[in-house]
Amino acid sequence: MRNIDNRKYVIALIFVLIPIVFIIRLFYMQVVDDKWKERAAQISENKILTYPARGIVYDRNGEKLIGNEVYYDIRVVPRQAKEIDSVSFVKLLGISMEEYMEKMNKARDYSMRKPSDVVRQIPPNEFAQIAPELYKYPGFFEVARTQRVYPKMIAAHVLGYMNEVSPADIEKDPYYHSGDYIGRNGIERMYERQLRGQRGVKYYLQDAIGMATGSYEDGAYDTLAVQGKNITLSIDSDLQAYGEKLMENKLGSIVAIKPSTGEILCMISAPNYNPNLLVGRHMGKHYGELQEDTLIPLQNRPLNSAYPPGSIFKPVMALIAMQEGVVTAKASFPCNRSLAGCHNHPTAQNISDGVKMSCNPYFISLTRRIIQQGKEKSIFKDAAIGLDIWAEYVRSFGIGTDLHTDYPGGVKGNVPDRQYYDEEFPNRSNPYGKHRWAFSTIQSISIGQGEVLITPMEMANLAAIMANRGHFYYPHFVKSIEGGNVPEIYLKKNKTMVDPEYFEPVIDGMWRVVHEPGGTARRARIDSIAVCGKTGTVENFKRISGKVYQLTDHSNFMAFAPMENPQIAISVFVENSGFGGTWSAPIASLMIEKYITGTVKDSLKEQRILDANLIPDADDIIRE
Amino acid sequence: MRGKQSNIFASLDWGVLTVYFLLVFLGISNIYAAVYDPDHAGLFDLETEHGKQIMWFGVSLFLGLIILFLEGNFIRKYAYWIYGGTIFLLIAVLFTSPINGARSWFGFGGVGIQPSEFAKVGVALALARFIDQNGGQKERNRVRKNAGLATLWGVIPFISKNKSTAFILALPCVLVLLQPDAGTFIVFTSFLLVLYREGYAGNILLFLVIGVIIAIITLLVADNSFLLPFTKIKLTGKTGIIITLVVLTGVFALLINSFVMKRNRKSLYHSLFGSFIVAVLFVNFVELGYSNVLQTHQKERIDLVLGKIEDPNGKGYNINRAKAAIGSGGFAGKGFKSAALANASQRHVPMQSTDFIFCTWSEERGFLGSAFLIILYTFLLVKIVIIGERQRSIFTRVYAYCVGSIFFYHFMINVGMAIGLAPVIGIPLPFFSYGGSSIMAFSLLLFILLKLDSERKIVLQ
Repeated sequence: MRNIDNRKYVIALIFVLIPIVFIIRLFYMQVVDDKWKERAAQISENKILTYPARGIVYDRNGEKLIGNEVYYDIRVVPRQAKEIDSVSFVKLLGISMEEYMEKMNKARDYSMRKPSDVVRQIPPNEFAQIAPELYKYPGFFEVARTQRVYPKMIAAHVLGYMNEVSPADIEKDPYYHSGDYIGRNGIERMYERQLRGQRGVKYYLQDAIGMATGSYEDGAYDTLAVQGKNITLSIDSDLQAYGEKLMENKLGSIVAIKPSTGEILCMISAPNYNPNLLVGRHMGKHYGELQEDTLIPLQNRPLNSAYPPGSIFKPVMALIAMQEGVVTAKASFPCNRSLAGCHNHPTAQNISDGVKMSCNPYFISLTRRIIQQGKEKSIFKDAAIGLDIWAEYVRSFGIGTDLHTDYPGGVKGNVPDRQYYDEEFPNRSNPYGKHRWAFSTIQSISIGQGEVLITPMEMANLAAIMANRGHFYYPHFVKSIEGGNVPEIYLKKNKTMVDPEYFEPVIDGMWRVVHEPGGTARRARIDSIAVCGKTGTVENFKRISGKVYQLTDHSNFMAFAPMENPQIAISVFVENSGFGGTWSAPIASLMIEKYITGTVKDSLKEQRILDANLIPDADDIIRE
Repeated sequence: MRGKQSNIFASLDWGVLTVYFLLVFLGISNIYAAVYDPDHAGLFDLETEHGKQIMWFGVSLFLGLIILFLEGNFIRKYAYWIYGGTIFLLIAVLFTSPINGARSWFGFGGVGIQPSEFAKVGVALALARFIDQNGGQKERNRVRKNAGLATLWGVIPFISKNKSTAFILALPCVLVLLQPDAGTFIVFTSFLLVLYREGYAGNILLFLVIGVIIAIITLLVADNSFLLPFTKIKLTGKTGIIITLVVLTGVFALLINSFVMKRNRKSLYHSLFGSFIVAVLFVNFVELGYSNVLQTHQKERIDLVLGKIEDPNGKGYNINRAKAAIGSGGFAGKGFKSAALANASQRHVPMQSTDFIFCTWSEERGFLGSAFLIILYTFLLVKIVIIGERQRSIFTRVYAYCVGSIFFYHFMINVGMAIGLAPVIGIPLPFFSYGGSSIMAFSLLLFILLKLDSERKIVLQ
């Protein structure tokens, strides 16, 4: 009997033990383990993202450069899309049957209940055809979105473009989700954060089939979308458009800067492209075509190409020499053609003459004085000291330094110094090396050839320095950002190491370049405006299958105008076109006239430029 | 019998009654939260499940009051009649047209009655009456104590010697399986606990535990195959289990040979080899039953709880959503009517107000509420055991154990299923799940017990 009476304890024990197991299990599930909470959130919560409109971009006169345009995505919920007349539907959407099947399979794989894209980025005019028919196809619906539009169809390189974020972008900035668009170049990329605004999030509870059934925690975690900021650029869209027209059928660049502020008035890279090509559903195709073009239209030459400056470098030499006290404004050097080739001209009696006549031997002799100052007995050691002094001066003109332009990427020019020739000279058998070079070895740098390199942006900045008589502001595109000011850095005045008084003889020479007989840029003359300029003709060597060929020179010109109170500083660089005075100078003068007076009077000059096709074809290069 | 009426209420077990009212009240509030619909926000709206549940609770209370005014002896006297009545209903229901593939319901103009719920009352009463009447035989028929594993040999003679008991239990089992209603069948096996308490089938619990372990191992490995160590012979899981059993038997035989006195060895050898044969048969039985008898969805439910398959959005949908709802409740819960998953309008957790009602409670009240509810049930169960043990009447004691075992099974399976410790078997949580038949049947079970208990002293007199 005892045995049986004990059984009540066994039963009571079971009645207590199982609940204890349950309580332990519940404690683990509800308090310890977060797995089920995450799972529950995954099941029951969802969010809607609200995308703010991206900021609009205006030019300096309030003209719209980048706007937003509505377009439509057709999406599908595969579960609801049954018994569709796919043949007529495909025709309506304007896609192929294969593409349609592929999209539908992808959508089904993703989710039967959640929507997926079928066709993206249908423009409003095309959607107008689709909309009235769409009701016949259950499960399909449209979502309106916005995309970028470039109403002026100019300044592709300045404005940049957008495309879908890559996995790398998402990893870098978790703000982005797959399918988002991001500024990829130019202003779109530089000011991505300001333009994009802040996405809004609305959390909601969903039922088993994904339908919203209420807000989550009464919207405690919801955020409102913040509109993107509008940006006004310093670009003058008329000037930009005009420059792009002038540069048609040419390779090269134009950069114009407002010297008193450093604002970039225009930046033209030729050849260019219509920025609207890189928008919408055919973007990929267009991008591929642009990428394969041998003239590299996607390259932004003003900031991404560095060339030898040629003769526009000479005024800088004159300025440095005077500041260093190795010459005066009255210095005269003979046109000694054993130093370098030159053209026929009278002997330069002073700095102004030298600049006007652009005499190569004059500037070689002058630069020798800077570099070989006789501080050391050994000419090698002396040249090394002198070159470093020289390089420091040149860099103070912004050349080969960071100009802090608000543009993603870009290269710097090159200012060779002691270290460069001692160690880094880019040749497998460095002919130089420590104490093995003196001025005569490197003298071509004094006329802007050889190892000196400069970008068109730096050239324009150099023109602005001339206009400002010795100082500059970092060239920049931004004029104002909605609700904010121009960044501090662009308000800072950067002084060169040359005092303003030394600029006068050089500027006098630059005026005479344009206005006096015997000047190299007579074609740059405008009757009503005093233009000061300096031509450059850049020797163009190209290595083709191991042999170095000399090709048609690059034509180069920098200028500012008017002489007093300058309003515009400009650099024009036309590749493979010959003398600086022939092509670049007239283009610069047309730009100056256009900017200052608003029109161009000399239609002959204009027509000559518009008619010129200066694009060398590849066969010509080989033949030459 | 002067002052009989006051006597009834004075001798009622108010502790149990309080827990009963508390469970029903919490249950209705919980159903209200689970099916909450702003369009039908009224508590007594008969369109809603909570409104109907209140109505059924009223009916249950009425039935309970009637029972309280009956004589306890009357209930005992008519136990077989009640049993017979419920059996009749179980037979009659087989001739209705099936709803959701089972013939389990009598429909009376929009109101459904589930006879299998009431059958529990009938079986409990009949079993109590039978054991009470045959109490004298108990000593004789009980299998010898200290017989160890040899008890197994007694299983067949046991059934043959207790044909009546077996019949009382087997008849409703067969009838509910014909509906088919596997859940109620499993609840009927709870009477094994009662038999255990009453001294039948001495080691039945031990065998149950060993059986469950062997069954789980069999189901886990039966589909797998493995290589016999050191050889290249490929064996099925079942062969592996049988080999293991052979090895174990050998080890035990060696142990018996070494440590047991000679005169005791023979019976132990018998037990050992007998057990071995039964175990081998059992393994085959489990495997065959699993692959041939069970329906696909039943197999999947077993596989899910054993962790053999994982399919959170398909076969495992129910249990995955239920666990997510419970787990997301956290320590203190999301608050009344705030369940994001275990709410009927969200349709995440199926059978929200009936089989998976515990999810709503657990999500809204968190661990604190869940633990409280489990403690409440545990209190009720232990209290029923105490009530059973304080009876002089064998009838009342057996009946108490029947009620306790039924409640325990429902509680264990319903909550165990929601928290992923038991396979999905659709049976209600007593007093908590929505359902007229179930709340009436559970209330009847409890009120009969309270009535019988209230007369324990009268019996003494």
